[in-house]
Amino acid sequence: MVDTWERMQVVFRDTFDEDSLQLRPDMTAADVEAWDSLTHINLIVDIEREFKVRFTTAEVTGLKTVGDLAALVDKKRSAAS
Amino acid sequence: MTDLQPIAMDHASLLRESKRLDPAATRSKVRIALLSDAATQQFVPLLRTLFHRHGVHADLYEGPFDGIQLEALNPNSGLYRFQPDFIVMLNSIQALRAAFSQRNGDASAFIEERTRGIVEVWDTIQQHTTATLVQSTFAMPYERYFGNFDQKVPSSFYSVAAALNACIGQQVRSRAGVLINDVESIASWVGRREWFDDRFWDIAKSFCALPHMPLVAKNIVDIVMASRGRVVKCVVLDLDNTLWGGVIGDDGVDGIRLSAHGDGEAFYRLQAYLKELRNRGILLAVCSKNEMAAAVLPFDKHPDMLLQRSDITVFIANWIDKAENIRKIHDVLNIGFDSMVFLDDNPFERNLVRCLLPDVIVPELPEDPADYVRAISELNLFETTSFSGEDLKRAELYRVEADRREAQAAYASAEDFLQSLDMRIVVSRFDPFHLPRIAQLIQRSNQFNLTTHRYTEAECDALMNNPNVLPLYAKLSDRLGDHGLIGLIVMEPRGDELVIVDWLMSCRVLARGVEQYLMNLVVAEARQRNLTNVRGQYIRTAKNQMVEGFFSQFGFVQTGGDANRADWLLDCSTYQARETFISPAGELAATVHP
Repeated sequence: MVDTWERMQVVFRDTFDEDSLQLRPDMTAADVEAWDSLTHINLIVDIEREFKVRFTTAEVTGLKTVGDLAALVDKKRSAAS
Repeated sequence: MTDLQPIAMDHASLLRESKRLDPAATRSKVRIALLSDAATQQFVPLLRTLFHRHGVHADLYEGPFDGIQLEALNPNSGLYRFQPDFIVMLNSIQALRAAFSQRNGDASAFIEERTRGIVEVWDTIQQHTTATLVQSTFAMPYERYFGNFDQKVPSSFYSVAAALNACIGQQVRSRAGVLINDVESIASWVGRREWFDDRFWDIAKSFCALPHMPLVAKNIVDIVMASRGRVVKCVVLDLDNTLWGGVIGDDGVDGIRLSAHGDGEAFYRLQAYLKELRNRGILLAVCSKNEMAAAVLPFDKHPDMLLQRSDITVFIANWIDKAENIRKIHDVLNIGFDSMVFLDDNPFERNLVRCLLPDVIVPELPEDPADYVRAISELNLFETTSFSGEDLKRAELYRVEADRREAQAAYASAEDFLQSLDMRIVVSRFDPFHLPRIAQLIQRSNQFNLTTHRYTEAECDALMNNPNVLPLYAKLSDRLGDHGLIGLIVMEPRGDELVIVDWLMSCRVLARGVEQYLMNLVVAEARQRNLTNVRGQYIRTAKNQMVEGFFSQFGFVQTGGDANRADWLLDCSTYQARETFISPAGELAATVHP
């Protein structure tokens, strides 16, 4: 959806406390310093709240790239609307 | 006060704030150890942030995951090396559920074994430290195996969890130094459906959904702050549209809304809530913009007025600004501004008081009076770490004190008045019966407190049993009433000196000669032990300026230190006993034993 990427960027910047963070589709946890297993959970909770969606446990643990996450959010949003 | 402003309590904001804490901006420190069978990494930054908002730097120790017993039983564990002031034990329902599904015996054996395990941890820890223990309750499980019938089956997991919570409650009642962090109460307030997020238990062993974790952290902060003396002692009440609906001066007794049923029930409910607080020992005061004659009318004439005039310790109705009146109430009661809560439906008055008396706690009140009690209760303003018979008598004590002040005016001189009081004192070594009140006084006394060491009840217990220390309490009564336990002195002979380690008194009994009586006793004690000097120390806090000159008035000479920490010495041979109008209470006269 049109605004998914933009809103995700805001969430990422907030969650990881990094104002200049620029999302790229191929970005992974290895590319963001503050992104570890602990903050991953914070990220999921923040994304869920922002888009009013809910991920399954397998989705939470299986996500690899920011692009995957955006696609998943889009899928859930369109299913909801 | 800060925690009552509309400051963000959501998980994400607290987490962000935790990265910007400035230890230099804190005024004191606390060492807290966390032991849990759930993960605590998500929890620690929240605790740190909330403590920081109270001006407290929290030094935190996280025990290894699921290592509660291990840490407690091993005398060389990181827990003991850390030397915590507080040990927080978080037992999760998720871990309990896992253990329950692997039980060997029946449910009652399981309950017994689990209770024993928890209590054993307390006992072991208390053998090694004097830290205050904070034990969580179990959030009740959401699953039902028998439907409504769960309650009728003692072996259902639901009944087992409830029984364990009841056992924990029972066990802490008889134990000093163990407090309750009632996680179940918060979980049910939030609602179990929202509270649990099993995905994050599975992935990361989080004991509840992240958005609700701040409430548990706040619980712990409230407990710790209360045991460090931050307790509310008095609620100051507005009248019109707070205690009843409408304006008494305009509407008259028949026109105001106040009723046990229906219209006006919201105000009745608030009064019932306040009445219970009053019964608990919280003082109530009235501060109203009204003519006195109108303000008292509902108290005297309205059939559904639950609060009586005798429930109100100080009653002020006039047209002066409320900050000024609260200052007056503060003077009469002799308690700190930060131990006062002000309830008023009018935002203007609330803001005025916030502005002029920033230490007074001024909660936002919701627009609808139906929500008053819920909104106030949710803030958990009345946390305490002790409750004694003295609490119940407090309001009565203050009322007697008000009478005493009136009596004072009728005598020509203060001496005549003091003499007429026929004051009787009991001074005795700490004993188990008085320990709860002793610990409470130590936690609460701010102004007349020379060193402000905040001993826990367990530490008081240790002092009581230490033969090298002389820990004394003083109880005072007079013709007009009983003041109860009003002073504490802890002394220790060192070399040729008798050292006053602590000296604190309730401000209720100032200017009566109690401190003179006690100093006579201290010097007599030193002489009896052939000690040549009495040593004292004054440690400055934000509140104890009142006793800055305490030692010098008795002829002590300052020997060192600075304005914040001054050492004082008295040569016993130069001391002249001070005159007082206090005599030892009959049969307990000679109860001071070395």
